Amino acid sequence: MSKKNPVWSFFASVKLAIVLLILISAASILGTLIPQQEAAGPFISRLSPGVADILRSLQLFNIFHSAWFMLLMALLATNLIVCSLNRFPAAWKRFRKEPEPDQADLFEQIPADQTVISETPLKEETDRLENLLKKKLKGVRRRDGSDHAYLYGEKGSYAHFGVYIIHTSVLILMAGVVIGFLFGFEGYVDIPEGESAAAVALKGGGGTKSLDFAVRCDRFFIDFYENGMPKTYRSDLSFVKDGRVVQTSPVLVNHPVTFAGIRFYQANYGMIPSGDPIMVVTEGDKKIKDVKVAIGMEFDLPGKKAKVQMIRVEENLMGMGPAVKLNIQSPAGQVQIWIFQAIEQIHQANPGLIEQAPLFNPSLFKPYVFSLDQANKQYYTGLQVMQDPGVPIVATGALVMMIGFLVVFFSSYRQIWIRLDSRGDKTRISIAGKSNKDAVGLDREIRKWLDAVKLNKESAS
Amino acid sequence: MINTVILSWVTFIYFTAFAFYLVRMVSGKEIWGRLATVAALIGLFAQTTALILRWITSYQMGIGHAPLSNLYESLIFFSWSIVALYLLMEWRTKSRSLGTFVVPVAFLSMAFASLSPNVSSRIQPLIPALQSNWLTTHVLTCFLGYAAFTVAFALGLMVFMKGLERRNPESSRSFIQLIPEADILDELIYQSVVLGFVFLTIGIMTGSIWAHYAWGSYWSWDPKETWSLITWLVYAIMLHARYVRGWRGKRMAVMAIIGFVSVLITYLGVNYLPGLHSYQ
Repeated sequence: MSKKNPVWSFFASVKLAIVLLILISAASILGTLIPQQEAAGPFISRLSPGVADILRSLQLFNIFHSAWFMLLMALLATNLIVCSLNRFPAAWKRFRKEPEPDQADLFEQIPADQTVISETPLKEETDRLENLLKKKLKGVRRRDGSDHAYLYGEKGSYAHFGVYIIHTSVLILMAGVVIGFLFGFEGYVDIPEGESAAAVALKGGGGTKSLDFAVRCDRFFIDFYENGMPKTYRSDLSFVKDGRVVQTSPVLVNHPVTFAGIRFYQANYGMIPSGDPIMVVTEGDKKIKDVKVAIGMEFDLPGKKAKVQMIRVEENLMGMGPAVKLNIQSPAGQVQIWIFQAIEQIHQANPGLIEQAPLFNPSLFKPYVFSLDQANKQYYTGLQVMQDPGVPIVATGALVMMIGFLVVFFSSYRQIWIRLDSRGDKTRISIAGKSNKDAVGLDREIRKWLDAVKLNKESAS
Repeated sequence: MINTVILSWVTFIYFTAFAFYLVRMVSGKEIWGRLATVAALIGLFAQTTALILRWITSYQMGIGHAPLSNLYESLIFFSWSIVALYLLMEWRTKSRSLGTFVVPVAFLSMAFASLSPNVSSRIQPLIPALQSNWLTTHVLTCFLGYAAFTVAFALGLMVFMKGLERRNPESSRSFIQLIPEADILDELIYQSVVLGFVFLTIGIMTGSIWAHYAWGSYWSWDPKETWSLITWLVYAIMLHARYVRGWRGKRMAVMAIIGFVSVLITYLGVNYLPGLHSYQ
């Protein structure tokens, strides 16, 4: 492909990369300011329908899964690939390049302390240093002159590729995300204790997905700390295939369980009422009585010498759920009230109802409060159900990125030149170096070699 | 509890250290600098002791966990990382002028932790979502990253202070001359940002692994996750601009300041947005 091609040079520019990164950042900021997906509902209801429609058509309530966000990501991926392809040959050339050992100009401005005098003659000293260099450095080369010699060695030439390792890792990460998006799913299922489910609701209203096995919740369990904070949520699950229990595992928060490649997470829980209805009487915070609900049932309230009778029992009164009508007979007179099971919801939907209709006030006969309840409560567990074949790929990408970071940030390409000049039966040794970055590290490297040369001198004398 | 008493003293010690660094800068007398270093060291030592005591106390209460589990503990650790990193840099670079800009951030973090009525200093047990081995690694790496970015931010402020000197050289005060040369500042900004970037990346990765086990997805675009990505992108842009377009000096300083604002939103700002990550 021609590198003069305008499309190619558009994608090969780092400016484009920076613009794309800024656009992705801006979109992400927007995504944290505008409520997204399920959370968007209440926000949308406060907008005028026209504005809401415009925002919806721009996919601003689902930015991170919108077509234009994906487009930005695809552009970034293309940009990364083209940029890397464009620059790789230069890096390869730098990697393959074998610099001349005799670069006299390098030694012109080195500090005086990078030169030492050795007691051994030129030939012997050069041989010794060459061996030393070969042990520690790569690409060691030598050039002998009549009264001088040059040695060259380098290390960290792989550092030329660090950037490509990081960019490849980003592409691997993106590939993993795409694979998860295409071949994975995310769903939810609520299972009451003792019951089974063989299908899950897909996230974002995407219908249901049936599983080729059933999950049974044998037990749901909550434990609390002394101060009332929750300590453990746990579901004991059984996986049933062809009518047979294949696996039984507990699922806790932070400890999901995998069955047939699908992971189950403890995500939620709740209670559903079941069993016979009962009438509960409380005084302050104290529960003083519970009575089975049935027409004609009578009980006493000792504190007020009152006698209570259930005169009507309705399954669903005026569409407001189960209700019981009480007749309370006391020395002060006679009172009748309706007790609803769903009193809280009714109260929320119709604020001020109790003030308007004392007939519906469960605490009319002070100090007692009546409520309807059910004898048993049953827990249900809320499980999140996931399958994401992209996870191992994403993990590989993360690992490769860390390797790239090590290469780019914590290693550098260092070149060392040594010049040896004959001074009679002694030798003058000068050391120079170059590095693609990290001048401090290079200086340390040069000092190390100076020390090695001096040590050599001492051991020889 | 004794640890919170020590920690409120540490707040005061860091303020003293800051005041000494400031006096050194204005007066130009190195004795104040030495006093400041001693104060900061005492503060760091006391703070380390308090953190260890807090850790031990949590085990005595039967709810043992590393002191990295709520907003109070994170603010304390944030300030600890800043001072530890700063003292390391002071020792390596033999320059104290950075202290005037960095130590006040550590002090403010401590003051916020100790004084804000919304920040509870009680040792609380871990709710089920936090009961993970990844908690400590995740929080540790994130806050070391935040501390490095804080240092880069302070260096960025110094670049602008140094710029004042160039604008009117004759009236330049002694304290500006104490600031290292622009190219040294630039190199230090670069190194701090690299350190922060690597730690932030590890922090995001450990967070993703944890989320994979706790929430069922390594990435859910929760506001904190999203803002950590934005912060990561800001510093990625900064590093690319330096490598490829050769940005230095003031431009890098501006990026270091923008990056720090993004860090603050990631750390504290997102608590005002709904999400899985908000501190309780």
